[in-house]
Amino acid sequence: MSQEFPYLKDAEDVVAVQRGPEPGGVAGAYRAFGETLRGLKTTMAQVFAGPITIQYPEEKTPVYPRFRGRHKLHRFEDTGLEKCVGCSLCAAACPADCIRVVAAENDPVDRVSAGERYAAVYEINLARCIFCGYCEVACPFDAITMGHEYEMADYNRGDLIFTKEMLLAESLEQTPLRREGE
Amino acid sequence: MSAEKPQITLVIDGIEVEAEEGAMLVDAAKGGDIEIPVFCYEPKLGGPVGACRMCLVEIEGIPKLQTGCSTAVRDGMVVYTRTDRVIESQNAIVEFLLVNHPLDCPVCDKGGECPLQDISMGWGPGRSRFSEPKRHFQKPVALSPLVRIDRERCIMCYRCVRFSQDVAEDEQLQLLERGAQSFVGTFDERPYIAPFAGNIIDLCPVGALTSEAYRFRARPWDIEDSGSICTLCPSQCNVMFTVRDERVQRVFPRDNDDVDNGWLCDKGRFGFQMIASGERITEPTVSGAKVGWEAALDAAAERLRAAGERTAVIVGGQASNEEGYLAQRIARRALGSPHVGAVDELSPAPLHALSAPELGAAVADIDHADSILVVGVDPLHAMPVLDLRLRKAVRHGDTRLVVASDRPTALDGGAEVTARYEPGEAAELLEALERQLTRPPANPGTPGREAEDVPGIGSAGREAEEVPGGDSGAESIAGELRPGATVIVYGERVGRGTGGEAALHALAGCARALRCDADRAGLIGVPDGANGRGLREVGCLSGAGPGFEEAAAGRDLAEIRDGLRAGDVDALILVQADPVRDLPDGPAWAQALRQARAVIAISCFEDASTAAADIVLPAEMYAEKEGTLTHPDGRLQRLRPSVPRPGDVRPVWQALTELSARLDHETGIDSASEALEAIAAEVPFYAGVTADEIGGRGVRWQERQAAAACPPAAEARGERRAAAADSGRPENGSGGGALRLGTYRDLWAAEATERNPAIRFLAPAQRVELAPADGARLGLGDGDQVEVRSNGTSVRARVALHERIRPGAAFMIEGTATENANALAGAETVEIERIAPAPGAPGRSDRSDAEPAGS
Repeated sequence: MSQEFPYLKDAEDVVAVQRGPEPGGVAGAYRAFGETLRGLKTTMAQVFAGPITIQYPEEKTPVYPRFRGRHKLHRFEDTGLEKCVGCSLCAAACPADCIRVVAAENDPVDRVSAGERYAAVYEINLARCIFCGYCEVACPFDAITMGHEYEMADYNRGDLIFTKEMLLAESLEQTPLRREGE
Repeated sequence: MSAEKPQITLVIDGIEVEAEEGAMLVDAAKGGDIEIPVFCYEPKLGGPVGACRMCLVEIEGIPKLQTGCSTAVRDGMVVYTRTDRVIESQNAIVEFLLVNHPLDCPVCDKGGECPLQDISMGWGPGRSRFSEPKRHFQKPVALSPLVRIDRERCIMCYRCVRFSQDVAEDEQLQLLERGAQSFVGTFDERPYIAPFAGNIIDLCPVGALTSEAYRFRARPWDIEDSGSICTLCPSQCNVMFTVRDERVQRVFPRDNDDVDNGWLCDKGRFGFQMIASGERITEPTVSGAKVGWEAALDAAAERLRAAGERTAVIVGGQASNEEGYLAQRIARRALGSPHVGAVDELSPAPLHALSAPELGAAVADIDHADSILVVGVDPLHAMPVLDLRLRKAVRHGDTRLVVASDRPTALDGGAEVTARYEPGEAAELLEALERQLTRPPANPGTPGREAEDVPGIGSAGREAEEVPGGDSGAESIAGELRPGATVIVYGERVGRGTGGEAALHALAGCARALRCDADRAGLIGVPDGANGRGLREVGCLSGAGPGFEEAAAGRDLAEIRDGLRAGDVDALILVQADPVRDLPDGPAWAQALRQARAVIAISCFEDASTAAADIVLPAEMYAEKEGTLTHPDGRLQRLRPSVPRPGDVRPVWQALTELSARLDHETGIDSASEALEAIAAEVPFYAGVTADEIGGRGVRWQERQAAAACPPAAEARGERRAAAADSGRPENGSGGGALRLGTYRDLWAAEATERNPAIRFLAPAQRVELAPADGARLGLGDGDQVEVRSNGTSVRARVALHERIRPGAAFMIEGTATENANALAGAETVEIERIAPAPGAPGRSDRSDAEPAGS
């Protein structure tokens, strides 16, 4: 032992493992190609499955229903008033500090929101947003939700600051949805 | 309080805690880092009331739970704050408080900084079993134009009511109705308008009381708080500026017991809106043309060089020590002119005597004084937070308050003796008082009580007694003042006018006789300008340089004015000063400024003085300024910049140093801190003071070692007798139609009132206050429109009859935006003529009762 492994000072820790006999013949051939062929079977099967490439931007990638895309602000469907009361809780929850809310008092005659106050300024800097969805969680009135839209590239950083009007507006295109489990 | 209380040890939740004997359990627990939740407990409001039951704790040996806020600690006490019984009661209390609370936190202004939120999270059960409808009120209702009340949110902690009843003593806020129907309100739903009403916003532990000016402006996580000093009056309250988007959104107190006790007046609280006003001067102008700083400074330097020593400098009360120092340095060293003055003008000799360090009282000394003499000032108007301090002393201690003034003060109700002297005749009374006090005492061992048998002094516990000025009044006052621990609060206005110097000398004599150099005793002079004391100490005084150093005597303010008109003074530099509005005889000043060859005004806003100025340089507002101020009690305090300067505004110190350099006097000062270094080097009793030493709480220079370097005042008794003798005063005019005119500076008669939309409604219209007897004699009724005339000038005003006004006297407001009474300031007597009867509705005249009644 010690002459086989001269660098081992303390030969007692060494456990010698007995190797089996070298395979040959059929067993040797399987050993060389068997697993490779199994892998190729998966590959070859895809040849007949047809292409899965999506021709973006002509085609849109469908997203899952809980995909966290660009935010949306909501209105009450019956009254048309904004759900947002400008409480700034989303801004407090935001880890990227990308939401700015400036509240103001509602005029009882010409209401903007249902509460005492409304968001006079509501801006999300999408260049900073990390789409974590904490704002949605924090919102006590379900006024802000994460939408499905993910096409937000623009030429100017400044254009990535979305104002309240932009966030309230319905998006022009519907992002295709993937069914749950698909 | 002053005596050290013994320390005792008690055990709270198994932690040994040391506390002062008699401290409340809630406070003692903080020493062991244990928090007991409270709502109604607020030591600033006085004793505990135990109304909210939030602070219940278990004490070994007492079967029932006890309120931690009203239980004093005893040695060996064993207290538990987190046992099952206590937690059960805390949960129950929170659940009860939330029964009627609307939980509209998202729309509530208090959300995020709300004790109810914090305590519900920390000590509440987290859910409610209450499913019945909640109590409803109309909401939100304006309690006053400054405060909104949402009664649904109120948890009945009584804090606001206690403030109104016990601290401000205006007794306007009440708890109305009973039981579940009770709510906070005022009699007859009148607006709660009082000088300190805004404090209830801070006191409210829920969002029931919210500030009209801060309503929905920001959330606690949107803002940064920045500590500084309010320079709108000499109180120099320590404030926090709430800053959002580089604008001040709110002002609240920074709780410095040595200065303000944690209170603010409404002027300071709502006076921030002008900082971001669009009316600010933001660019330097020469003859109305915007030319940029370099050209404006060159033009200013050119004119000043031409005027040379025929230049005068007037520094306004809001200027910092650094600005005052640099302004006087330009005059004295760059131009060689001795004509330096601050808006608060007093003659140096007696002033120097009154500024002696051993004679100065700290504001906190008022709390423990045995007697307080208020002379010639109504603190409510001149230094509002001091009014609360004096009330507190009278309410809590056995402090005896004596008020001697020409105009009735808001403190009269709490005074043992009030003395009324004729307008401007403080000297007579003070000299009589000095004679009384220096009379050899029968028995020096029993302090001052020999006056008990003086006629006119009844037994203790009587109604406040009103005495006339003169010797009999002085006798009564002397009887009430116990030597040893007397704090004298005097309005520096007593030192103005013909008898002014004599009055100040007499005051110094009184202070010596009352041994004001002793502990807990002393003098506090209330200037008109916020930094009146500091400006004098850095040399903005005719005849005295920095640190009262002897300097060539220059013209006083009236002489500067006359010099400008006569052409003897060529140029005038105004550093945040508006002489047309603030100094006596405004119309003459306006004329003088127009006739002057060159007027250089450094100002934040366009006013009557900048209108006549050739060169206008923009100045910073107090929230933008870096520098130091000196409180009337000698406390050096720091102003720190909280918001950026708008437009092309530069710091005033910078403008002054650059101007100085252009006049071939290089100051070597390149920052505000270097300016402070220069002051510390030149003012012996400020020696070595640094911004770090002043810190956030300030430091009284009298308590520093360098105070010994304050040069002793020269004894000036000989000349003062002469000064007293030659003040030949006209006879009391009550015989004919003429009345003695007294003017005073109303709290709201200030630029800050008009520049801030929130408090603009408080700006006073001119009125003339008369005794009812005089009103009847002249056929004038309350609210009548009159013209007050003297020497060809006239001011329109409304009549306000006031029982406490001395017959023969008439009082008017100085510094109003229109019909300013300073036009009549030179006059001794005035004639009053009715021009229109009172309108059907009494209009503004009911504001004369806005002063809180005394205790």
